Amino acid sequence: MFVTDIRKDFYEVVANQRVALLVAADIDALCACKILQALFHCDHVQYTLVPVTGWQDLCTAFLEHKEQFRYFVLINCGANVDLLEMLQPDDDSIFFICDTHRPVDVVNVYNDTQIKLLIKQDDDLSVPSYDDIFRDEEDEDGDGDDSGNESDGGSEPSGKRRRFDEGAIERRIERQRARREWEARRREILFDYEQYEYHGTSAAMMFFELAWVLTKDTKDMLWWAVIGLTDQWVHDKITHMKYVTDIATMQRHVSRHNHRNEDEENSLSIDCMRISFEYDLRLTLYQHWSLYESICNSCYTSCSFKLWTLNGQKKLQEFLADMGLPLKQVKQKFNSMDISIKENLRDVIEESSNKYGMKDIRIQTFGVHFGFKNRFLAGDMVHAAAALLESTERDESDTTDNFIKALDSLSRSNIEWLHSGIDLAKKKLLAIQQTVASCICTNLILSQGPFLYCYLMEGTPDVKLFSKPLALTLLCKYLLRAFVHSTRNKRCKLLPLVMAAPKDVEKGTAIVVGIPPESETSDKKNFFGRAFEKAAESTSSRTLHNHFDMSIIELKTEDRSKFLDALITLLS
Amino acid sequence: MFCEKAIELIRELQRNSEGQLPAFNEDGLRQILQEMEALYEQNQADVNKAKSAARSDLIPSIKLRHCCLLRNQRCIMAYLYDRLLRIRALRWEYGSVLPANVRFHMSAEEVQWFSQYKKSLASFMRSLGGGAGLDITQDMKPPKSLYIQVRCLKDHGEFEIDDGTVILLKKNSQHFLPRWKCEQLIRQGVLEHVVS
Repeated sequence: MFVTDIRKDFYEVVANQRVALLVAADIDALCACKILQALFHCDHVQYTLVPVTGWQDLCTAFLEHKEQFRYFVLINCGANVDLLEMLQPDDDSIFFICDTHRPVDVVNVYNDTQIKLLIKQDDDLSVPSYDDIFRDEEDEDGDGDDSGNESDGGSEPSGKRRRFDEGAIERRIERQRARREWEARRREILFDYEQYEYHGTSAAMMFFELAWVLTKDTKDMLWWAVIGLTDQWVHDKITHMKYVTDIATMQRHVSRHNHRNEDEENSLSIDCMRISFEYDLRLTLYQHWSLYESICNSCYTSCSFKLWTLNGQKKLQEFLADMGLPLKQVKQKFNSMDISIKENLRDVIEESSNKYGMKDIRIQTFGVHFGFKNRFLAGDMVHAAAALLESTERDESDTTDNFIKALDSLSRSNIEWLHSGIDLAKKKLLAIQQTVASCICTNLILSQGPFLYCYLMEGTPDVKLFSKPLALTLLCKYLLRAFVHSTRNKRCKLLPLVMAAPKDVEKGTAIVVGIPPESETSDKKNFFGRAFEKAAESTSSRTLHNHFDMSIIELKTEDRSKFLDALITLLS
Repeated sequence: MFCEKAIELIRELQRNSEGQLPAFNEDGLRQILQEMEALYEQNQADVNKAKSAARSDLIPSIKLRHCCLLRNQRCIMAYLYDRLLRIRALRWEYGSVLPANVRFHMSAEEVQWFSQYKKSLASFMRSLGGGAGLDITQDMKPPKSLYIQVRCLKDHGEFEIDDGTVILLKKNSQHFLPRWKCEQLIRQGVLEHVVS
């Protein structure tokens, strides 16, 4: 059931109890977790934090902790499957789920006792009504009653009894037909409801709202909420409209917190954290890199210029010349660029990019500023934390180690981790751009009919980086965008993309990701989750649907071709 | 050369840094005591000779042996006392039950001394607070908060806290627990205090 008053029904319930936090491995979940941890520290709520990377992890963690905890808080996991069936908990375990995955499973919505959803009810959910899906089983007895009545009144003439019999049989047939119709409609409704996967409001924003209602919100929590929202935008989980709406919501909170900065007499010390609204450039990490590198490695600019072609490189030089930026300046570290150039940079770039067909080079976002040296945009932090979360630097490192590192890097006191994350993010972006360039130039993307398909060979440089879901999804998105810009086939521009990359060479598994087609007004709804399930069933391929996003699966490399064929037939 | 074994003992203690207790060097001690006995006997004989035969040329060698005896005594006293100080620190570090490997390094007398020290510390603590008792081995530094956030560095299994609830300590899980329960484990290196 949905929780209406998050303070009364969630926070005050767990405030005197011990809670287990099960947190999924994405940046929005990390931010939500930090906000909740800060709240728990304020009120001395004892908790245990366990990172989980997939359904199996979730089950194991639950089994280990179910003896000791009665209250479980699941962040960004668990809403889109029947949780009670998967975990088989005792009757007194209560689950609070704050998850952005939609659609929310109907059992989770209509369970009154054990599952509480920390999700806003008006959040574009369109849950089917109760009567359409669930039906009491008492109607079975109606049939029995009819036949029971016939045995009373034994002195009735047999003619009448036969009429009664016929009446009873007709009623039973009628009832069965109604029931079949109802079941068919129910299947249809459920199919429509569960067909497309998408994402809702960020979990970090939900918990920030809880903090605000408790009036315990701080600038740190606000910043984490902003990072959570930006993570959804960077990894393409929400539509542009929703992003802009949510930014407006956050902007109200930011201006409320910045109220004290206005005061001339008691201005804040330079070490305090200041969050500001920025209408900044869509160039990834440009303030921590050189402008040139950033333009070459950001998805938006690189695809608009088509920088993998020679023509594209020439256009880029023209663009820079048009703005009057000397090449030497542009290739240095951003912080060492001339002040005169940095002053009007954004406006200058916006003007010139309009000429080159890049209308949305600027995007609304937030930046933070504390101390003399530390300025970060929300996008920078998302990339840094994501790079740390999925770093493949040390081979046998636990995923939980990376989780802890990424979690630490979000605190203001761990700037070195953040900087190392930014370096890793730069490497990741470079790898993505090179892979995209090579895939486009060697025509690795094939149209299979209802979708595009690309497979990364094992010998590709940096292929280990792409064995992780977030990195592979980012690569997928950039590749699709680049493909759309480079192909002349009108039909192919509207196709979704399925991408496979080797995950574990020894075990012979590959990771497969499907993303919806690229378009200006796309609603980011992904049907690959169900499609993958059905294709795997029909070919009995050895797949592992372990990830919380149903559109990311693991597959044995040998089964790849038959799985693909099944998918093609399914979707044509 | 005389007194070399005594210096050996002292060096052994110096090599082991503060807080570590090396094994009780029975052998070394016995050798030094034997040396002292030998020196003393020689001195006795010489003193008798000097007195009876009025041989004053023996006096410097008597003086030398006497100095060696004093030096040996001083070294042994320093050795034993330093060990006692380390054992006393162990009570504050580990609590009243010492781990087996540390107890192995202590001699029987040291064990006895330790148990007596424990008893007197316990009776002192009981007498504090107007008879209510106060455990002063907790909170060696003034605490900043009641509960602290800790991260588990290695799998430790189950851990029980005061109200009876059990927590599973798994690698890389984070917990928010009362600080007095965690101090022991932090000292042992199982948990790490996370300052955010």
